[in-house]
Amino acid sequence: MRKSLFASPLDGLITLLLLAAFAAALQGVVHWALVQANWSVIVDNLPLWFTGSFTKDQVWRSWTWMASLLLLCVVTLSPRWLIPPALARWLPLLWLLALPVGLLLLAGGLGLEPVASNRWGGLQLSLLLALASTLLSLPIGILLALGRRSKLPLLKWMSTGYIELIRGIPMITVLFFGQLLIPLFLPMDWTVNRVLRAILSLGFFTGAYVAECVRGGLQSIPKTQLEAARALGLSTVQTIVLVELPQALRTALPALTNQFVGLIQDTALLSIVGLVELLGISRSILANPDYVGRYVEVYIWLALLYWAVCTLMMGVAGRIEHSLKGAEGNRS
Amino acid sequence: MIGNHGQRLSQGSGWLKRHAAILLQVAIGLLVLAVVLQLVSNLQLNLMRLGFQISLNWLGDSARFSLSEHVLPYDTRDSYSWVLLVGFVNSLRVVSLGLLLSTALGLIAGAASFSSNLLLRRLTTLYVAVVRNVPLLLQLLFWYTVVFFSFPQEPQSLLWGALSVSSRGLVILGIPTSVEFAALLTGLSVFTGAYISEVVRGGLASVQRGQWEAARSLGLDEGRTLRLIVIPQALPAILPALNSEYINMAKNSTLAIAIGYPEIYAVTSTTVTQTGRAIEAFVLLLLSFLLLDLAISGVMNLLNRLVLKRG
Repeated sequence: MRKSLFASPLDGLITLLLLAAFAAALQGVVHWALVQANWSVIVDNLPLWFTGSFTKDQVWRSWTWMASLLLLCVVTLSPRWLIPPALARWLPLLWLLALPVGLLLLAGGLGLEPVASNRWGGLQLSLLLALASTLLSLPIGILLALGRRSKLPLLKWMSTGYIELIRGIPMITVLFFGQLLIPLFLPMDWTVNRVLRAILSLGFFTGAYVAECVRGGLQSIPKTQLEAARALGLSTVQTIVLVELPQALRTALPALTNQFVGLIQDTALLSIVGLVELLGISRSILANPDYVGRYVEVYIWLALLYWAVCTLMMGVAGRIEHSLKGAEGNRS
Repeated sequence: MIGNHGQRLSQGSGWLKRHAAILLQVAIGLLVLAVVLQLVSNLQLNLMRLGFQISLNWLGDSARFSLSEHVLPYDTRDSYSWVLLVGFVNSLRVVSLGLLLSTALGLIAGAASFSSNLLLRRLTTLYVAVVRNVPLLLQLLFWYTVVFFSFPQEPQSLLWGALSVSSRGLVILGIPTSVEFAALLTGLSVFTGAYISEVVRGGLASVQRGQWEAARSLGLDEGRTLRLIVIPQALPAILPALNSEYINMAKNSTLAIAIGYPEIYAVTSTTVTQTGRAIEAFVLLLLSFLLLDLAISGVMNLLNRLVLKRG
């Protein structure tokens, strides 16, 4: 204690100053939170934050989806000895199913009443956008990374050009112009709703960043692996699919995790182009005269929500990473 | 006869194999070309239906919208090309000042994460964790509406008169700034500073422990060890990563639209709303960011070369 906080007079001074600042800040925050703050803006609108203005009698579908996601997180994060090995083996597949099940529940179909995409909102829309664009960006990114590493000049130029162009421009421009331009580039009779436009823009944008993560993974593979693959008589395609990609993706996983957790936060930008995801719905709630000026409460609540979702996702990704490493260990 | 046939067959497959690379490229090239042509023809049809034609003539028209602040002189009768330039210079203003502030903050926080004081180390960890797990847009809104807008109406003097704050604007060392600009600059610097501190921390950690110990055994104190021994060795690892953080900051400055500072994206967005010229404006915006990125990378490469030469 003394060594880490009061090693020298200067250290002691810093410690005391910091402690005093902490105490003052803590007192201010507690006083504000308990006395001055009016949390009714959060409590009164509790369902809105999560489900947006989803059709009232169908809202159980939103809750089912979010509850199953939470359950999946809990199962993934719980200690290994608590869950049966059979379930553990199917976890990655269950995560892959999260998106199609979510889409089915939100959009309707298979006997469920359809709900228009402009009624989707709140946290569930943020989650859906993040999941869908993650799944879209992965294949795009992998193909671009392979293209950039390819010996074929045309492929290399096209992939490099795309990656560098996208990485040079801000995300909000892609989202904004995506909303405007995607319908212009499609046949007249195709209707693409705003949510799908957002997913396409986010997916193609993030693809360029995913490509760089995957390229890092590809570069880390020792040359001997490729020589060994050639010596075994594997074709180029077989080498890529069986030898390079599995190793590259495993190496790139931490970088990819950062990318995708970042993507959850990036969905907040869609409030600027008019989607009512978590930040968007808070803007419409703040516009309600009953809650005028309740910015601090709302922003703190949102920060907590984003922080919780991101931390949860970091944990889940870390666990999946770990289990993939474990699987590799068992095989060898 | 049979042998001859087999030979020809293997010749054929050999030809295919030898030229597989070219054939594959031609096939992919044609595929991409077909997709692009289809998209362009869709675009032409849609534009025809809307009665639009791509051109840049509208750039000369007068913009007729006002800007809340500008470094270059601007009047609503000025042309769209001029208002876009004014927006670009506004971007440069916030990015260049943000670079300095975030670097200072990042260096301090990065160095503090190596401090012997436990509390200081924990504080930097908390700073980085909070900033990285909350969307930047939300942080900017927080700085704008919660911090900078809660100042009193009447100007208040702080720090012995060096700073004067009110909800209508700030005066720093005699230089007046708008609340929007100050909030944007603060938000961007605090956000980028957290990322830079991680870069600095990684760079300092990459210097071998032996170097620290050798410096200590030579009798150098902590500050001089950092300045003379560790930082010169850490810089080659730090500078390239700093470059990408700076470019990220330039790109993130576009979120200013949420708090109403008229930088290049906000101006472009208004221009598109008024003229409907989405495609042309998009290309212009791409070019201006290309320019901004190249400028930052150019300066950083120069710096990098200087450091490497000295090292």
